[in-house]
Amino acid sequence: MKLWVKLALMTALILLLSMGFFGVEMIYRSILYNQEKTIESCEQQLQSTAYAIGRELENGLREEYSETTKRSYINYVVKKYGASQYILIEDAQEVCNLTPFTLKNPGDERWNQTQCSSVIQRRGEQYILISGKAVPAMGDADYKLVLVQDISKLYQDMREQAFLSILVFLGAVAVCVVLVFLVTRKILRPLRELQHAARDISDGKLERRANVSGRDEISLMAADFNKMADRIEEQVTELSKVSEQRRQMLGSLTHEMKTPMTSIIGYSDTLLHVNLKKEQQERALLHIKEECSRLERLSSKLMSLIGLYENDSICMEWVSMQQLFEQVARLEEHSLKQKGIRLECSCHMEDRQIDRDLFESLLVNLIDNGAKASEAGKTICLTGEGNVITVRDQGCGIPREEIERVTEAFYMVDKTRSRKAGGCGLGLSLCSMIAQLHHASLAIESEIGKGTKVSIIFPQG
Amino acid sequence: MTKILVIEDDNAISELICMNLGAAGYETIPIMDGLAAEALLQDGKNKEIALALVDVMLPGKDGFALMEDLQREGIPVIYLTAKDDVLSKVHGLKAGAEDYIVKPFEVLELLVRMEKVLKRTGRSRQKIQIRDVMIDLKEHSVSKDGVKVSLKPLEYELLVTLAGSKNVAFTREELLNRIWGCDYMGETRTVDVHIGQLRKKLDFYDVIRTISKTGYRLEDLE
Repeated sequence: MKLWVKLALMTALILLLSMGFFGVEMIYRSILYNQEKTIESCEQQLQSTAYAIGRELENGLREEYSETTKRSYINYVVKKYGASQYILIEDAQEVCNLTPFTLKNPGDERWNQTQCSSVIQRRGEQYILISGKAVPAMGDADYKLVLVQDISKLYQDMREQAFLSILVFLGAVAVCVVLVFLVTRKILRPLRELQHAARDISDGKLERRANVSGRDEISLMAADFNKMADRIEEQVTELSKVSEQRRQMLGSLTHEMKTPMTSIIGYSDTLLHVNLKKEQQERALLHIKEECSRLERLSSKLMSLIGLYENDSICMEWVSMQQLFEQVARLEEHSLKQKGIRLECSCHMEDRQIDRDLFESLLVNLIDNGAKASEAGKTICLTGEGNVITVRDQGCGIPREEIERVTEAFYMVDKTRSRKAGGCGLGLSLCSMIAQLHHASLAIESEIGKGTKVSIIFPQG
Repeated sequence: MTKILVIEDDNAISELICMNLGAAGYETIPIMDGLAAEALLQDGKNKEIALALVDVMLPGKDGFALMEDLQREGIPVIYLTAKDDVLSKVHGLKAGAEDYIVKPFEVLELLVRMEKVLKRTGRSRQKIQIRDVMIDLKEHSVSKDGVKVSLKPLEYELLVTLAGSKNVAFTREELLNRIWGCDYMGETRTVDVHIGQLRKKLDFYDVIRTISKTGYRLEDLE
């Protein structure tokens, strides 16, 4: 059930209950009041009439009157004062009855008092007020006067009134329900906007935001909702960027694998089917071996890259940078000597918390890159100063527009040459991964023909 | 000898192609990058180049960009590349390439496709010399030491097929398909019979070699 329906129904129920009790009570009270008033006025009328009749009879009724004369005189007196509403009783006998009713028990004890005594009797649809009292001071004669009045009209009026108030009451409830319905709808409109926004977002329109203004709870919620949507959009964009990078990397990977595969398949096919000279056969076998070892290098680099992505195999420890530099220099000594390149190390750094193996391979990679770019006789400088480690070479340099892309997996500035040098385009992307794991960044500056400077910058402090 | 321009930046693959084309009786000019290819084509001394095998991703100038230079010189182009997406194929063929071969490729397939392109562009060889046997493709005649040898049409076709890609092994099925047609219901024995005839008529007992588990190869190394 919708919230506005619930609210409207609830309001209707509460109104019905509260106004119902109140209304019934009101009507009941007014009935009682009206009844009392009617009785009171009847009794007053009875009182005065009884007094007047008493006086008249006292003055006018003679002992010597015959029974018939007495009767007609009484009739005359009662008619004169009381119209057709009175019954006069003498010694429990109706002596004069001008009403269309007959008393069931004319000798009722209640009417012996000077005070009025009233009772309301129901006869079918009719309500009849019977009120009686003794007629005052009449010697030894005992007269009682009884007023009989049809008060059905009063009840009918009251019934009509009650009916009318119920109508008014129901009308009021209906108006209230409609009002509540309209108001809740208006209040809940922002909620609907919020719902639409949520649905749009789940349908993939991530840029959608809830357009709700104001300062009530729903607006606050909408603001938070928008904040959440911002965050989700941000993360989804980031995720799709990462997956796009992975996709590109896979694309380059298959391409990188295809080239040695082509050679291996081609040469083995040739060896199987083509009649070659002895030295050609040897060349073919040599190529197969070379391409296989290229694939092997590629796979081991990839393994380490994947290992870094999973990054649970990192072991941080305090390492003396001086010792690390010496170790790297020892590792590189042989290969650099072969190429005729000199390595200059200088370290003015404090101990740092790093993964020794990974950092070693980072520095070795950078020095190898420098060596690949350099000719014999050149120098590579490995410098550690403060929180920056720099590897500077005097090699061929990287074109300005390519610097941004060199850390991408499989990116090679000069494909032919770096293949010949045994590269597979993963070195620098591996380096930047290692740097990232140490919360350091890799900065590359280069000038064509003059050399390249790669800096590993640790965060301050 | 038919000259083929091989523009390929990977040393191993370039050598692979040259090795195979050389064995099959073509002369190759290997070029390692786009700019060198452009420079060679502007020399104007390359009228004899019959066909160019071009890689798409090349340093300097890529294969698609080289198409203009090659077409100006009237050299038919076959792209030989690792890019196997449809878009690249369509682009390459629309730009005017005669064929598009995706790496990794098989030697025989490359040779056959080259042969087809050469035939289509009217650049196929007129004569093939194998030792003392001369095949005149124009006149459909074969002579040994200047003496004409009479061959049946299917024997002639078989000889031309084997000699066209000499030093490369054909399976019996391939030979059946190419000479008798793929709907020929005969047995591979038919091939053996015709090979026997050729050996006998041309005294090619040591030239047409039986390769175990594969088929036949016409061997002639200079």
